[in-house]
Amino acid sequence: MKIRIDKLTKQYGDFRAVDELSLEVNDGELVGLLGPSGCGKSTTLFMLSGLTEPSSGKIYFGDRDVTEIPPEDREIGLVFQNYALYPHMTVLDNIMFPLINRRIPKEEARKRAEEMAEIVHLEGLLNRKPKALSGGQQQRVAIARALVKKPQVLLLDEPLSNLDAKLRISTREEIRRIQQEVRITTIFVTHDQEEAMSISDRIAVMDRGRLQQYERPQDMYLNPVNEFVANFLGMPQINMFEGELRDEGIFLADKLLRRREDMSEGHDLRNGRYRMGIRPENFEIDPEGLKERALHVRMTGRDLLVFFNIGDTELRLLAHSDHNFKKGDEFSISVRPGQIMIFDGDGRTMAKV
Amino acid sequence: MKKLFGHYRLRDFKGYLYLMPALIILLVFTAYPLFKAFLMSFQEDYSIINGSYDGINLENYRELFEDDDFLKALTNTSIYVVFVVPISIVLSLMVAVLINNCGKRSKGIFQTLYFLPYVTSVIAIGIVWSWIFNSNYGLLNYFLSFFGIDPIPWLNEPDYALPALIIFSIWKSMAFNILIFLSGLSMISQDIYQAARIDSTPRLRVFFRITVPQLKPIIVYAFMMGFINAFKVYNEVFSLFQGKAGPADSAITVVYYIYDKFYNSADYGVASSAAVVLFIIIMVLTMIQRYVTRDKEA
Repeated sequence: MKIRIDKLTKQYGDFRAVDELSLEVNDGELVGLLGPSGCGKSTTLFMLSGLTEPSSGKIYFGDRDVTEIPPEDREIGLVFQNYALYPHMTVLDNIMFPLINRRIPKEEARKRAEEMAEIVHLEGLLNRKPKALSGGQQQRVAIARALVKKPQVLLLDEPLSNLDAKLRISTREEIRRIQQEVRITTIFVTHDQEEAMSISDRIAVMDRGRLQQYERPQDMYLNPVNEFVANFLGMPQINMFEGELRDEGIFLADKLLRRREDMSEGHDLRNGRYRMGIRPENFEIDPEGLKERALHVRMTGRDLLVFFNIGDTELRLLAHSDHNFKKGDEFSISVRPGQIMIFDGDGRTMAKV
Repeated sequence: MKKLFGHYRLRDFKGYLYLMPALIILLVFTAYPLFKAFLMSFQEDYSIINGSYDGINLENYRELFEDDDFLKALTNTSIYVVFVVPISIVLSLMVAVLINNCGKRSKGIFQTLYFLPYVTSVIAIGIVWSWIFNSNYGLLNYFLSFFGIDPIPWLNEPDYALPALIIFSIWKSMAFNILIFLSGLSMISQDIYQAARIDSTPRLRVFFRITVPQLKPIIVYAFMMGFINAFKVYNEVFSLFQGKAGPADSAITVVYYIYDKFYNSADYGVASSAAVVLFIIIMVLTMIQRYVTRDKEA
């Protein structure tokens, strides 16, 4: 089912939780709504579900305008952040519940619930109560309950936030696998950029109720449209600083980061001070480059995170963990071509040089 | 070492000191009378003036079970319990769910209105209801007249006295039940109801398959308290029939019987044995109820 959101707005008094959001989701696509808390992503999801009424704007499922349709008639499955399982019912009863409500005969309902339980790998737990399950298992019950009625759209509200770190990774793969298996149009909400990037076909980044960018994860990571998106995606975070463009090139605290003739684009930019960003992985060791000293070094496993200063600006770079960096060591670096982002006064990306 | 020991002793003593007032009151007004009543129930012809008695035996119990008034009180009380407790709980649950679905402001108003009977003096309420039940001017008969029902002499006719008492008590006991159901309802997570909406659950099914099971512990509690309180019914009788037990004692209850034997007939032994019988009935029923409704999961 294709979803189209048109200028969707939710206003609470003077506060616009969601501000003229427009978005299209293709059939069978998995889209992550990503943003910091309070950005309107959950409000958007609940408007899609019908549990929250929009102030204005339209929602279309396929060609059908569902804006005024109550949740029970929207043919959606919704997985709540805390799963909202019926605590007094067994796993099987939980999964069967939506079917029984639709007057599907008990025998068939049981059969379909058991099949669904198999898809989410819950067989053998069907007679347990939710309390006796782990967080990940409860999560899968919630997904099974949402999917068993064969909805057109699956909505997930922060599906992984109540799980511990290890379980999160396996569960998100699981969600992706189930989504692929049943080929259902899915929208999920998260504040975790890594989570969003790893399983989404496309990500919609929101900030203060507004859509910032809607793109494939990789494209978005490489070409953020503005400072907010650049900042929000990527761990460790992008280095942001105030740089200066002069005739000779780009400077940070009188050190030349990029010669004018080496700039890949942005040749028409006027000289002056700009907000700039460099991702930590885009520094490279270069004997010809700037000489810097490591202030401290943090081992993250695969990488070394090296802290250093240029002028007063603290920067971080990621180096492979087989480099032998220690605190106080000197090294020389340059920025990989095309990897300095330059933003305008409103934070919009102007060039990557 | 000795000093330390002394220090602890003092602290212990202080602790008991704080407990003392409550303990003394409990001992004097609850524990001792309980024990004494138990003892008195076995003492034949006990005199409250000099504490003398003719012997320790089961004479009081024999007399008690041969007394038609007691058997009637027991029957009345049983009928009363069987009607008042379930009807009150079902009605309260319905009202509580209705109030809970109201808007914020009207919710507060209704909550207060329905709780008023609980904080109002039973005697005052009894007087109001004795007017409602009045056969000539009463509101109830007036309403019944719309349905073509002739005036019913609620309080003057032995056949109607117990039903009148039951109606009055249901209304009165609803206040407490509604209160605890409302607090129970507010503890049910809203997500479950949202999930139920997404799952297209019909309203009645939401009530029976989600609200009621979620409220089960509270409903069990309401039944338990309801049974205990209903077996002890006395105030309601006293206030509705202005100190009597209805025409020709037709609405006599066990506690009223105890009261009557003790204060009016000075039959202390029989009154005590009736109290012991009531105690045993309540205890056994409570135990059965706890067994039946125990959480099978645990």
